[in-house]
Amino acid sequence: MTAWPAPKGSQTVSHSRVFREETMVIKSPQDFGAGILFILFGAIGLYVGSDLTFGSARNMGPGYFPMIICGLIALIGLIVTVKSLAIEGPAIERIQLRPIVFILLAIAAFGILIAEIGAVISSILLIMFAAYARRDVKPVETVVFAVTTAAFVVIIFVYALGQPMPVWWGR
Amino acid sequence: MEVFEHLATGFMAAGSLENLMFCLIGVVLGTLIGVLPGIGPIPALAILLPITFGLDPLSSLIMLAGIYYGAQYGGSTTSILVNMPGEASSVVTCIEGHQMARKGRAGAALAIAALGSFFAGTIGTVFIAAFGPPLASIAQQFNSPDYFALMLLGLTMAIVLAHGSVLKAVAMVLIGLLLGLVGTDINTGLTRYTFGLSGLWEGIDFLPLVLGLFGIVEIIRNLENPPPPREAISTRMHDMWPTKKEFKEAYPAALRGTGLGSLLGILPGGGAVLASFASYTLEKKISKNPRKFGTGAVEGVAGPEAANNAAAQTSFIPLLTLGIPSNPIMAIMMGAMIIQGIQPGAAVMTTRPDLFWGMVASMWIGNLMLVVINLPMIGIWVKLLSVPYRLLYPAILLFCAIGVYSTSTEPFMMVLMIVFTLFGYVLFKLGCEPAPMVLGFILGPLMEENLRRSLVISRGDPMIFINRPISATLLVATLLMLCLIIFPQFRKTREEAFQEE
Repeated sequence: MTAWPAPKGSQTVSHSRVFREETMVIKSPQDFGAGILFILFGAIGLYVGSDLTFGSARNMGPGYFPMIICGLIALIGLIVTVKSLAIEGPAIERIQLRPIVFILLAIAAFGILIAEIGAVISSILLIMFAAYARRDVKPVETVVFAVTTAAFVVIIFVYALGQPMPVWWGR
Repeated sequence: MEVFEHLATGFMAAGSLENLMFCLIGVVLGTLIGVLPGIGPIPALAILLPITFGLDPLSSLIMLAGIYYGAQYGGSTTSILVNMPGEASSVVTCIEGHQMARKGRAGAALAIAALGSFFAGTIGTVFIAAFGPPLASIAQQFNSPDYFALMLLGLTMAIVLAHGSVLKAVAMVLIGLLLGLVGTDINTGLTRYTFGLSGLWEGIDFLPLVLGLFGIVEIIRNLENPPPPREAISTRMHDMWPTKKEFKEAYPAALRGTGLGSLLGILPGGGAVLASFASYTLEKKISKNPRKFGTGAVEGVAGPEAANNAAAQTSFIPLLTLGIPSNPIMAIMMGAMIIQGIQPGAAVMTTRPDLFWGMVASMWIGNLMLVVINLPMIGIWVKLLSVPYRLLYPAILLFCAIGVYSTSTEPFMMVLMIVFTLFGYVLFKLGCEPAPMVLGFILGPLMEENLRRSLVISRGDPMIFINRPISATLLVATLLMLCLIIFPQFRKTREEAFQEE
């Protein structure tokens, strides 16, 4: 962890300073995050499952097994969190918004639109959206590629595999 | 002999023109996806799962098995030529295979990997045919406590074999178990953890879960950290044949690898990854000249490749006889079987012998097809590596989305897929590996049911797990595994083993 890459530009400088201040307490940001995630998971599980009957070992209720599991998840979360304060570990990689936002948008658009406008056009839209998950999009190439791929995939799924889905709108 | 009769039944079922075609399609598609750098068998299976749903059960299982072997094969090709492992079990192939390729022996490395795998696949098939039925009859003596103990052992092994932190792997398995419990409790009919969503009443759907966690997160990962430009080492057919010396070094290693792999495949938690690492370590240990390892040792390609293929075959045994998946890949196979309406287990062999034996026979056919399509067509697969990623990933994404939609037109499925993509993304950022979670997800309901039954039989006395010899043995094995994790010396070797990536 000593070899931190040389800062480039002022933004990175302030970024790494924040990082160093954080490491005063949290030595392993990844593990700290994971620990908190586990604690949350376990706690929500315990809370939501609290109205399920727990029962006893002899007669397990629907809450018995899940509550034990949630308790264990929270416990491990606690251990991981505490350890992350003591033992050095990797930092959390910077989150890049562009890929995940565009990929999720592409799926969402497809899911919302396919029933309305059919598989061909929603497939084309999915590919267009997805293409913008990268920088330097080549618009012409993307459109040509989107149309060919959509045609190809629809032929495979609808005609070759006989999956029921609307090909065009208005049905 | 009975075995041959059974195999004949199998070859009859698998040898129909239709099934041969589906096997070929599976193998080709599997290789196609597996060759792509960074995509191992788990995402490959996830992405291609939907296209098998429309088929009848046997054809779809044959195709899935073909996809699995194909993806593994494709992964080896990429490892050797580009030094980019698609998955953990090709990591060791990368070490030696790529070194061979750099010395101009790429063709030979590919041929050795292919022939070693084919040989191992053949033995693996015979192994299943010979040991499947006796194991199935042992499986019939298994009772709830034994099943519970077996699953505990399997999950513990999955934790031992997971990358990175043990504690995080434990948590991932537990979260998987919990996610597996979502839906209607079979005993009381009450819904659990559905948050009032009717789409969750029958449990979390398998397909959006695996596609989100493995297919789509993989795409986002590659977009965030674009893999360095790949330079495939070119190869020509005429240097395909190994020299006599290489052959002499390769075949004993392949034999050992096959034996080791076949055994390790059966173990709970075992499978291709464990087998290839174990075989590599073994070859290095017994070699007269351990120094050459790391510089392109032929044994280091032949052994692990044979081992991972043998284990890939035999890891079907616990699934087909006990109905318990031993690793995440088998968990996906089991998920596919359940979607097809087949509950894997010893009963399959007696109620649907054509299905069981047909699948076993198809494994051998699939392996043969792989050798035939891989060696002469290697040029095509290498070409595929030059398709730019900017075109590949939107197509893969579309495939995932259409796949989910074709199995259920419920918009909720897309929502689930988005949720699991986000969840998988968070896990990736926090350094948690999702593979053990899938195993937990599949085993969750089974584990609860067997725990419940065990405790009903014993009237709440946990001693039932120790009083039964089978479950006691399995629990002792689980404890040993736990000791291994805690025991510092082993922990170090585990970390070292994964360092080699």
